[in-house]
Amino acid sequence: MSGIQEDDDLVFHKICSLLEPLNEKGIKLTRETDLIADLEIDSVSVLDIVMDIEDNYDISIPVNTISEIKCIGELVDAIHAIKKEQS
Amino acid sequence: MSLFDKFQGTADLYKLLLESTGRDPFGVSMDEMKGPTRAMVEGKEIVLAGTNNYLGMTYHEDALLAAKDAIDSDGTGTTGSRFANGTYAAHRQLEQDLAAYLGYKHCMVFSTGYQANLGAISALAQAPNDVILIDADCHACIYDGCQLSGAQTVRFRHNDPESLDKRLSRLGDEVKGKLVCFEGMYSMFGDTAPVKELVEVSHKHGAMTLLDEAHSFGVYGDTGRGVCEADGVKDQVDFYSGTFSKSLASIGGFVASNHPELEYLRFSSRPYMFTASPSPSNIAAASAALAKISADSSMRNNLWENARRIHSAFTQLGFDLCAETGPVIAAKLPSKEAAFMAWNFLMEKGVYVNLAIPPGTPNATSILRLSVSAAHTPEDLDVVVNAYTTLAGELAQASVDA
Repeated sequence: MSGIQEDDDLVFHKICSLLEPLNEKGIKLTRETDLIADLEIDSVSVLDIVMDIEDNYDISIPVNTISEIKCIGELVDAIHAIKKEQS
Repeated sequence: MSLFDKFQGTADLYKLLLESTGRDPFGVSMDEMKGPTRAMVEGKEIVLAGTNNYLGMTYHEDALLAAKDAIDSDGTGTTGSRFANGTYAAHRQLEQDLAAYLGYKHCMVFSTGYQANLGAISALAQAPNDVILIDADCHACIYDGCQLSGAQTVRFRHNDPESLDKRLSRLGDEVKGKLVCFEGMYSMFGDTAPVKELVEVSHKHGAMTLLDEAHSFGVYGDTGRGVCEADGVKDQVDFYSGTFSKSLASIGGFVASNHPELEYLRFSSRPYMFTASPSPSNIAAASAALAKISADSSMRNNLWENARRIHSAFTQLGFDLCAETGPVIAAKLPSKEAAFMAWNFLMEKGVYVNLAIPPGTPNATSILRLSVSAAHTPEDLDVVVNAYTTLAGELAQASVDA
């Protein structure tokens, strides 16, 4: 269980480090942070960040999945699910 | 109430833009057309340098005459879809002419270029077992085609065969059909794709390719067949899509292929079946323009000559351009606001270009998209170069002041 928790934190921190350059208002990033509403990132930039994540974890996250993701926590969960499926 | 809430952010941005100059960059009305490169806007004649009229054929006498004759003989509209009463002899003839011009065995004509991609992609790929891979910078109609198909869609990095290779390698055995979509020339930046490499990578993984040459048809390649001709792989492209609303000076779209199964789309592609077919005059104008560009390369030569002049002038002025010389010459501006002010400045100087801002542009860039036409006269281009020269001075001054 602690292994999953650790992995979860790692993914969360990785995503935060990728999002930080776009965090223009300098808000605190949490699992609940809404990518578009809170970070004010446009929909295409979200897709671009996802490409960095894909290459980092060597997975593919379909556009169909991304369009359903609102906040950072959901993105973390999606990465876990896909890592499991594609490994 | 809540239905409208989601528009508020964009509506506020619009309002801000409008208030700062009193001019709406996304609602310009060409009050009176003065030919392929001039129009009256707000009582003033301006040079049109933000169109897709690459070969400048919109007022060509062959196209005008053919369109008028078609109205007289076949009427103003077909009132039906290709699938029902909307296929006339002229629609069939244009399909054959396009196939012959491009060197493919089959061709289907759709009502717009948007619907050609929407119709082909949504019919070819299906959930849950097919996967579509698209270049990250693909046009909205390709994204929409993916969405309508319902199939899993994965983006690869723009113009990056290695990124495509990686994503194709990751696909599991359960995947049945694979469709890779990319464009010949990208309309916003004007950059061209490494078509040969993308086709090779796709075929290595058993994937089919759909190449959209909407903006490059008639323009690229020794005989104007597009970027795939320039790259020497025209016969290896599975599906070639294009439009009539750029170099063919009309409206409509098409998909051509050597696969006889293309014909299946006639009874399975919803954007083909459930919309009215192009009007007789649209088909006639496109047919006449196609005949003209097949026989005469002078428009293409003029276009490239004009493109070289503008690209070289803008480079000398120090503009940060998005691509090599080509019919689309886009200059990067530091912000949305700067791009809007620059766009408005050019309007004041009598030049219309396209303002493009995120999310409609790659990499969240704000640009002024200029497109060159074969119909631009040396005087038209003088007006353009003069306006950009003054703009360059203003921008330099603004950065000193900042």
